[in-house]
Amino acid sequence: MDSKINRRDFIKATTATTASVAALGAGITLTTYVNANENPVTNEKRWGMLVDTNRLTESDIDGMVTACQKENGWGNETHSTGDQKASWIKKIKVKDTATQRISNLALMCQHCEEPPCVDVCPTNASMKREDGIVLVDKHRCIGCRYCMMACPYDARSFVHEELTNQKEHMPRGKGTVEACTLCVHRVDKGEQPACVEAVDSDAVIFGDLLDVTSNIHQTLKRVQSTQIRADLNLNTGVRYSGI
Amino acid sequence: MNRFMVLLLSLMMTSVFAHANSEHTLGTQADSMKSSGKTYHQSSSMIRKMHPEFMNHKRDKTLRQGVRTEEYSLKGCVSCHASKKDQSNDYHAIDASEQFCSTCHQKVAISVDCFGCHRTTPAEGDK
Ligand code: HEC
Ligand code: HEC
Ligand code: HEC
Repeated sequence: MDSKINRRDFIKATTATTASVAALGAGITLTTYVNANENPVTNEKRWGMLVDTNRLTESDIDGMVTACQKENGWGNETHSTGDQKASWIKKIKVKDTATQRISNLALMCQHCEEPPCVDVCPTNASMKREDGIVLVDKHRCIGCRYCMMACPYDARSFVHEELTNQKEHMPRGKGTVEACTLCVHRVDKGEQPACVEAVDSDAVIFGDLLDVTSNIHQTLKRVQSTQIRADLNLNTGVRYSGI
Repeated sequence: MNRFMVLLLSLMMTSVFAHANSEHTLGTQADSMKSSGKTYHQSSSMIRKMHPEFMNHKRDKTLRQGVRTEEYSLKGCVSCHASKKDQSNDYHAIDASEQFCSTCHQKVAISVDCFGCHRTTPAEGDK
């Protein structure tokens, strides 16, 4: 133990990358790892999101898309065209054929309890964390794209080109599948996903569906909401009201 | 012939020792820790030998289970072992040749594919 530095020294050391060496010695305290999760996540939580399409404006949705791109560093692919482009979250217009009523909604990975992408993955790369977040473990992904075929929401995309200058917290690279991670790197720090934070009303709320005291749990109890393609019985973590 | 072999062998030996002695850089952050007398790893020989296993274990822990501690984090390796360029505040990519990780990997003929996805320089204030 004595040859290891303590947490505080480590924090100083890792976060002072832009500061000078002298400043390093002088003792800057930053908080990167203070809330570090030491224990595996459990199924005592189930993360979810509720999108109120009545209140969510088109510009809100654009803001959500931009926030996601900025947070996770996608959308600047230069060689990918059309369908090849990364798309973690998108704006969808749905029209009721009888009434002509149009609703706009933000569509991303729905974080299913029974995810078809996980069922079809040959390498266990598609996976669901204990707390309900569906991810691609890119370390195991071989790029077969079965999961993209299986997803009823068209929520996943494939990286078609070499990338550089990725975000530190969001490694991405050619030949693997990717999708909304519910901003798992933020959620693990106790923060909200970037898209939720970008909307400055509570038209989109995020939280633990199982926590009876949470806003999302209580709102879902009170208002009428749906799951997209509820007929598939996937029990999605992302819910919508107003459609 | 024998004499030639001896010559060759001793040449090889010197080049090995030359390497071991040469003051190769550990990276900006790690160098400054070392020069202020600090160590970070439990033991140098352990990290030299075992870092692939440690990191493979760590990535499953982080990605699949949400364990986000600093130990054996790849972000950590980059933030300590990347080197600043001489003339500017920018960093060399950690996987570039002549840099800490690659100097050794070249010697042992290992190629590492992590940096097709992982950022190769410490993050600049973008979290
Ligand atoms: C907090 C800064 C820090 C972090 C994070 C860090 N290192 Fe180090 N590393 C050092 C320092 C300082 C040394 C010098 C010897 C020591 O402290 O043990 C070193 C030494 C080493 C050595 C031995 C070098 C030699 O003498 O041959 C290896 C190999 C190494 N580190 C690999 C890694 C890897 C791989 C990671 C990521 C899993 C990592 N380090 C993360 C600071 C760091
Ligand atoms: C195809 C893309 C890809 C490749 C290649 C890749 N990773 Fe990752 N890696 C990721 C993603 C995505 C994460 C999850 C980041 C998060 O949730 O914070 C991750 C996280 C990690 C983590 C935990 C976070 C951290 O920085 O400590 C480690 C350790 C890690 N990877 C090690 C490796 C190593 C070692 C290699 C090379 C042998 C590698 N990875 C190659 C995509 C990749
Ligand atoms: C002292 C020499 C040395 C240094 C310095 C070193 N490595 Fe290695 N590394 C090795 C050796 C040897 C292997 C192969 C080990 C094996 O195959 O069991 C290896 C393997 C790896 C692997 C596994 C590759 C794979 O595809 O399985 C990763 C990842 C890795 N190193 C990352 C790093 C990083 C990151 C650094 C710099 C922070 C670093 N190494 C510095 C010697 C070194």
